[in-house]
Amino acid sequence: MAAVPTRDWSDEQLKSDDLPKKDIIKFIQDNAAHSFLNEHKLLGNIKNVAKTAKKEQLIIAYNQLFESKRFKGTEPVEEVTEQVKAVKIEEKPKEVKTEVVDEGPPKYTKSVLKKGDKTNFPKKGETVSCWYTGTLEDGTVFDTNIPTAARKKKQAKPLSFKVGLGRVIRGWDEALLTMSKGETARVEIESEWAYGKKGLPESKIPPNAKLIFEVELVAVD
Amino acid sequence: MALEQLSDVVQRCQARPDDSYTTEDHDVFTIAGRTCIEEGNSVQVLSIILDEKNQEIVRSMGWNLLPPLIQVLLKKDNKNLPQCLAIFNHLLETCRPKELLIGLLEQLEQDDPDTIAESVHLLLNPLQKVLLCLGSRKASSLGMTLSSVLDQVAKLPLPHTKDQEEDDVFSLCRCCTELIAFIRPFVQEVRLDLLNSEELSESRNNVAGGQDKEDELRTELLKFCMKTLSHPLLEVQLKDPDTLAVSPLRNFATEILNTLSAIGESLTSLVYQPLLKRKQLPGFLEEEVRYPKESLASLAHLVFVHHLAADTFPSVYNPVFCLRCNMEHTCLLLSRTEETRIQKGLELYEKSLVRVVDGSLPADLLEIKTFLTVSQNLVKVMTICPRHDLRIKGLKVFQLSIDKFDTEAKYNFFQYMLKTSGHSGVEGYIIKNIKNQIDLALQPGNSNTWFEGVHLLPLLRKVLSLPDGPETDLLQYLDRVMESLNLLRYLVIRDKVTENQTGIWTELYKIEDTFMKPLRVGLNMSRAHYERELHNTMESKKDKAKEESMLSVSVGDEKLPNMTSQSQIQALHSALHTFDMIESVLVRIEELTDVRENL
Repeated sequence: MAAVPTRDWSDEQLKSDDLPKKDIIKFIQDNAAHSFLNEHKLLGNIKNVAKTAKKEQLIIAYNQLFESKRFKGTEPVEEVTEQVKAVKIEEKPKEVKTEVVDEGPPKYTKSVLKKGDKTNFPKKGETVSCWYTGTLEDGTVFDTNIPTAARKKKQAKPLSFKVGLGRVIRGWDEALLTMSKGETARVEIESEWAYGKKGLPESKIPPNAKLIFEVELVAVD
Repeated sequence: MALEQLSDVVQRCQARPDDSYTTEDHDVFTIAGRTCIEEGNSVQVLSIILDEKNQEIVRSMGWNLLPPLIQVLLKKDNKNLPQCLAIFNHLLETCRPKELLIGLLEQLEQDDPDTIAESVHLLLNPLQKVLLCLGSRKASSLGMTLSSVLDQVAKLPLPHTKDQEEDDVFSLCRCCTELIAFIRPFVQEVRLDLLNSEELSESRNNVAGGQDKEDELRTELLKFCMKTLSHPLLEVQLKDPDTLAVSPLRNFATEILNTLSAIGESLTSLVYQPLLKRKQLPGFLEEEVRYPKESLASLAHLVFVHHLAADTFPSVYNPVFCLRCNMEHTCLLLSRTEETRIQKGLELYEKSLVRVVDGSLPADLLEIKTFLTVSQNLVKVMTICPRHDLRIKGLKVFQLSIDKFDTEAKYNFFQYMLKTSGHSGVEGYIIKNIKNQIDLALQPGNSNTWFEGVHLLPLLRKVLSLPDGPETDLLQYLDRVMESLNLLRYLVIRDKVTENQTGIWTELYKIEDTFMKPLRVGLNMSRAHYERELHNTMESKKDKAKEESMLSVSVGDEKLPNMTSQSQIQALHSALHTFDMIESVLVRIEELTDVRENL
């Protein structure tokens, strides 16, 4: 395109108070590529840019312009949308969506009450079936699917679900993946991996409750 | 006369086997017998029916007497009641179940609510007795019976208030209670059979031939439960124990849930069905017919909003998983127009959202189409639902859902809503939310890249714009325009020009061009237009001879009166005031930005 612009100002001239910021800005705006201006926040009304940019930054930008030679017309594609450029500049890595990055120790403990076969461990996505009893720290039983004599009337079945998919509270997902078929374990889950600050009022689980489950893994398929 | 004919035909048939009775015999017996009862000769009929010699005849033809008998029993005609009741009971004992069934079912069909309730009350026990006599062939007959009863019950007016439920003037509650007693032996049969079959075989997939009959029975009961979940249960508002300690409807709902469990349907599977891939069970009904979506939504509402069967519902499920399943139910309910459905949809959504921690739902959840559909449905409820309280609730639930999204999800959601809502009020509401998010992000420690930093500007550009440029109808888009101006004013005050955290100051020159200048032009044009209108109206008011409008509006058959000039003038003044209001904010912003420029 046009001839390469010349560097008219020396460092001393640039630093001098005689040279107003606006002039430097104007020069750079006239001669630099769009992307360069964007990176250095030099786009827009000169008055506004003058308000936000310090002299030192402008001097740096001026020098960088000549070093990198990113003048108008040197960029292969001048017309790119702001949005795309903005994203490119930041290069934000795609955030890990599902489970939180492993920070800190697991928020549950497991003690084995009866050993399992130690060969059939459930994998994520497989269906597991369990008998369980859930109690609060004070011993209140808030849930169980184990039939008692008094509950003859209802046929009881083990609880079945696909493990490791976030369908159950995290403590359960994590603990069950470490159990083998036939194992019975006592799992103590801190509230962050259970029902947290909300609790489950209709099920007698108060806020910030640590839950204790006795779980027997009967089947994996 | 009729009595003689009856005696004659009975005598003729007495010694003969029943396969020798002619059609004429049947007809004469039927007509004569019915006439006798209608004429009040029930004593004689009774003695004929009870006579030992006549039992074959009674077994073969007796059921034809049911219609007039039941009429007497329904009318509670005292004189003949005892005899007719005796005849009725004897027929139930003696006649063939299949034929009795037909006769009884025919009599269920009534027209007015009082008779419907009475006939259900009268006939349920006999029907139960007859069905139990059918042995292994009872399933389809049970299905037919339940279907007929439910059709009749559907004609009864529903109680809405607590008092109405207590008074039960139209006996709907009584019918429901009686239905539960009616199905009890059949449920028991299925339950025992399931227990036995589990003992016999490990896997329920081994369906032997003999199981088919029980499966049919189970299927009929399932169909029944599913139907009741739609009607009446989805139509009525169940009262909480605090409001109404003993509620027949709540009991009915609980019993339906218990029945489902008893026949082997896991409540959790039903409620979470939208997200679970069920194994195709052998049976003769398709999945969608077997588990109608509306019934499942009703079930979810009963479990999550009314907490019925709460003690059998496992407390291990992840609240986000529950929310995702309930979204499907909510989507269905909110896409209907009946207010009962909409109310329950809102309640279910609200209950599911409340269990989730604020700011925890991730952005990829929004990629599930249902989430977006539900939001669009909410907008419809908020803007066009005729009931005021539902509109208010819709807005409340809308905001609640926004609060549960994490920052990225909120960002995406706001963009989506701005693009698709098509309603100025909703857009204004979203813009206010954006302002709040920016405010939060600017507070120390809360910084994020969505509401400050690189992503904010594209969003701001969408907000700080006029839909139709300078020609935008400022009155129609008032909510949106005002909120946009409020946001802009907030930004220039809050974000110091030297910090420019939001980028607004470097963006300002563009905003001036695309937003502030066109708005200024639009304001001037609108103001000029309305001032002229006002002037014209006031002029023609002086003339008095007018009222020639080119447009007329009719509602029903009545034409609405034209606006009086007084009202017109008021409206025009109001419009001008609105422009003043818009302008005042615009001017303030211009002041603020000019001051900074002149610093």
